Amino acid sequence: MSGMSLRQYMLVVDLSSGRMRREEIPPELLRAYLGGRGLGVRLLRGRHTLSPFDPAMPVVFAVGPLCGTPAPTSARLSVVSRSPLTGTVYDCSAGGRFAWRLRAAGLFAILIEGKSPRPVALAVSSAGEELLPADALWGKGVGETVRALSDRGSVATIGPAGENGVLFSNILMGEGNAVGRGGLGAVLGRKNLKAVTVDGDLRIPVADRERFDRARADVLRLFRASPVIFGELGISEYGTPALVDLMRQRRMAPTENFRRTVFEDSSAYSGPAIRAAYGAKKEGCYGCPIRCKKRASDERPLPEYETVSHFGALNAISDLHSIVRSNDACNDLGMDTISAAATLSAWGEARGRFPAAEEIGPLLHDIAHRRGEGDLLAEGSRRVAEALGKPELSMSVKSLELPAYDPRGAYGMALAYATSNRGGCHLRAYPISHEILRKPVASDRFSFSGKARMIKIAEDTNAAVDSLVACKFAFFGASLEEYAELLSGVTGEPRTPQGLKEIGERIWLTERFYNARNGFTRADDDLPTRFFTEAGSSGEGIDVPPIDRARFGEELTKYYRIRGLRDDGSFPDDGFLERQP
Amino acid sequence: MIAKTAEKLYRDCSVVQGRVGIAAQDDVMLSEGAPDLSRLAADVLSRLSCLGVVAASPSLPFASYLLRRSNADAKAIVPLDTETRTFLHDIPIVRREELSRDPAGAIAAHLSKRKGVIAEGVGIVASGPVTLEQAYIHYSSVFHAAFVKYLLDALQAGFVLPGEAEAFRSFRDTFLQPLTAEGLPFRPGPLDAPEEVLAEIRAVGRYTVLRGLVDSFFGNISYRVGDTIFISQTAASLDELAGCIDPVPTDNRSTTGITASSELLAHRRIYEATGARAILHGHPKFAVAMSMLCDVKDCPVKDCWKDCTRVRMLGDTPIVAGEIGAGGLAVRVPPVIGGPGKAIVYGHGVFAIGRDGFEEAFRSMVDVENRCREEYFRRLDARTERQSKSE
Ligand code: SF4
Repeated sequence: MSGMSLRQYMLVVDLSSGRMRREEIPPELLRAYLGGRGLGVRLLRGRHTLSPFDPAMPVVFAVGPLCGTPAPTSARLSVVSRSPLTGTVYDCSAGGRFAWRLRAAGLFAILIEGKSPRPVALAVSSAGEELLPADALWGKGVGETVRALSDRGSVATIGPAGENGVLFSNILMGEGNAVGRGGLGAVLGRKNLKAVTVDGDLRIPVADRERFDRARADVLRLFRASPVIFGELGISEYGTPALVDLMRQRRMAPTENFRRTVFEDSSAYSGPAIRAAYGAKKEGCYGCPIRCKKRASDERPLPEYETVSHFGALNAISDLHSIVRSNDACNDLGMDTISAAATLSAWGEARGRFPAAEEIGPLLHDIAHRRGEGDLLAEGSRRVAEALGKPELSMSVKSLELPAYDPRGAYGMALAYATSNRGGCHLRAYPISHEILRKPVASDRFSFSGKARMIKIAEDTNAAVDSLVACKFAFFGASLEEYAELLSGVTGEPRTPQGLKEIGERIWLTERFYNARNGFTRADDDLPTRFFTEAGSSGEGIDVPPIDRARFGEELTKYYRIRGLRDDGSFPDDGFLERQP
Repeated sequence: MIAKTAEKLYRDCSVVQGRVGIAAQDDVMLSEGAPDLSRLAADVLSRLSCLGVVAASPSLPFASYLLRRSNADAKAIVPLDTETRTFLHDIPIVRREELSRDPAGAIAAHLSKRKGVIAEGVGIVASGPVTLEQAYIHYSSVFHAAFVKYLLDALQAGFVLPGEAEAFRSFRDTFLQPLTAEGLPFRPGPLDAPEEVLAEIRAVGRYTVLRGLVDSFFGNISYRVGDTIFISQTAASLDELAGCIDPVPTDNRSTTGITASSELLAHRRIYEATGARAILHGHPKFAVAMSMLCDVKDCPVKDCWKDCTRVRMLGDTPIVAGEIGAGGLAVRVPPVIGGPGKAIVYGHGVFAIGRDGFEEAFRSMVDVENRCREEYFRRLDARTERQSKSE
């Protein structure tokens, strides 16, 4: 039996008419795009130039071919649409339990289009699907919404931020995981879709059990051999805040809106500090052996590295409890922590004073409800900085706020921020893996040499990973070599890492092509000027100079060449999409 | 970078002089070395999404013998040492027929799935998806794996190919050099000043590579001062440790050591159990091979390398099982290493401790490997004798 050639179904929901239908996904699309991010990006074709808020713009929820099997870290969900914050094609993956319940309801994907006349929630199960009135839930926080819908399985919902069109609003999973960053919560909000619930009980077959089990054992062995994953100081123990001390030591922790790269008090919110203060317990996405998520003894999800660092160093705040409260507030309001903190920081620098710890909470509520200054802040740092006449203070790429890895401390990261199709994101090429964490091998973080090709290969690899849909953290130990085997085991169709990278390349180029059609050019593949003109915080034997702009440009040109693009980053012809399946 | 990679291969004595081809690509492809091999490396690389490829004739014919000794329908050899089991899984073999039409295509097809291959008549070809250095690492991993597996196969099945016995003799008489710690200056311990500790770790790391106790990549080394363990980083070349040593507090008040060697936990437990100051961990090949020979008949344990609970002895050195990193190695080594000052992990390598400094640890490791060599050749000679008597 071949799982991949088994029929896979997608639920198409037209919110305008309330009509819903299950239709088969053409198997050739699954072969060419795997699932998750790739499938979602493919399904946007033809509508990729619509405005993100156009009712006809689809939002795709898609799982990957490994979802529902015991493949480690693979029960993740991708959500794909066009971002109102960045204007780019946008995807984000989230863990939790939603993805495998979706698949267990007999669905590989949901495509949502149109706009409901009234607030609704979409409820899906193996028995069928219905649209429930959600007027009573409109205006409610994520926690309350999840509780109200919990008897319908896993919940993905927006909070007030999404309803009010905050450009960095998230979709939150009931388990506390977020479809983060690009404002897809606002896209659902505009569609008047408050939540999606899924429940199912179907089992997912594995075509070649022996092959699958062998690959799974290989993956687990690699996890055990990886200090970043299962090391006693790794993410399984401390969660991603394990990176706080490391980034401090490497002098690349963005501080005070990236004016500095060391925050003296960062140990206040390091992994060990969080563990001591909150008795952090391990928690994970469905079926994940790593369990990098941490919960406090009172069950609330504890913040990730980027969140603690940005509500901490970036705003010069060392009060751990305030940081955790900011995380709680963002989770309940349905708002992205990185963009929220970075927007506050840019605003703080522009007005000459970073917000104090006690001001943050009220400001977050104002943003989510677009009250007072919150109305402007809800637009994200680029629009805020422009409105205040200081556009250079938005530390973003393609309007997406940079996360907590200062590019002056890792040149691959600098290039990766610039070339990322969804804007200033660390998770596309994720060179932190080799530049900082030395996995699978170390590369020189203060050198551009070879980085153009490294970034290209990693972008392709991760596009495949996001389409499988596996967790990036698995790749601190395992590689596509083992995941290709898992896939071969599940589907019975042999796959190679090289083949997966080629799929990743197709997905990446498709995204870039969409962006190009929406007006993105080389000029958008750039970093804020600060990084080229101001040094980071040198010291302790580590020099953090400004990035050499000429060298950066040279490497960017190389990158385009390696991608088969023109030196200005454009496509050599218009026929790219037609040549793709 | 290409020149540096070639130099490392020569220094490791893992390639035949002049028989290395290396290709690396940025926006352009560069290749250097023996014309046929560098052309092949470039051709292979042009078909892969990778940074670099190394193609070379290994300095020992073991990989080629393994290929020729395998069944005609075998697609890969499966070495069972821990490094290979964990990182390579198996090593594809590409036979002459497959190579006849489009050698680069045939090799690339295998490299699209695995990190390195053994190609008949060519040697070992390995790829580096992230850096060229990674291709070098994969080359040396395959070389190491083939070396260890061949030692075991030769002991178990004898010499079966024409010329094999002669080649092995030459390996034994001329390739293998006496292994000694003589001539290496060590700082007498205990050391307290961090600068001194770092300098000594760097020096001893170099020694381990110089004397062939590790491939220049694997292995790890640490020294304890008060409540800090200075330990080599994960994926660090032991002969290039400058800037690659993490100071890790023993009470976990900081997670900076997230980049420390995957054996951090084992080192920490060994320090706790023994009070030692220095730990050296390498993968000397005879010790790795000998640790995988077990005489117990009808043992119910299947995955001996991780599940065996016995402590076997090789001379005065205990052998225990255990996986690297978060596996059981950190549990099983500390209780046995204190007395003898050294221990072997099944299929993996040697841990040696120094109560004050590295000299004791280094000498122990040299001693273990020499004894394993002796024992290996004793068993091999006995086997050869039996074989010739029965013929
Ligand atoms: S590593 Fe963490 S984020 Fe990734 S799948 Fe596991 S629990 Fe989820």
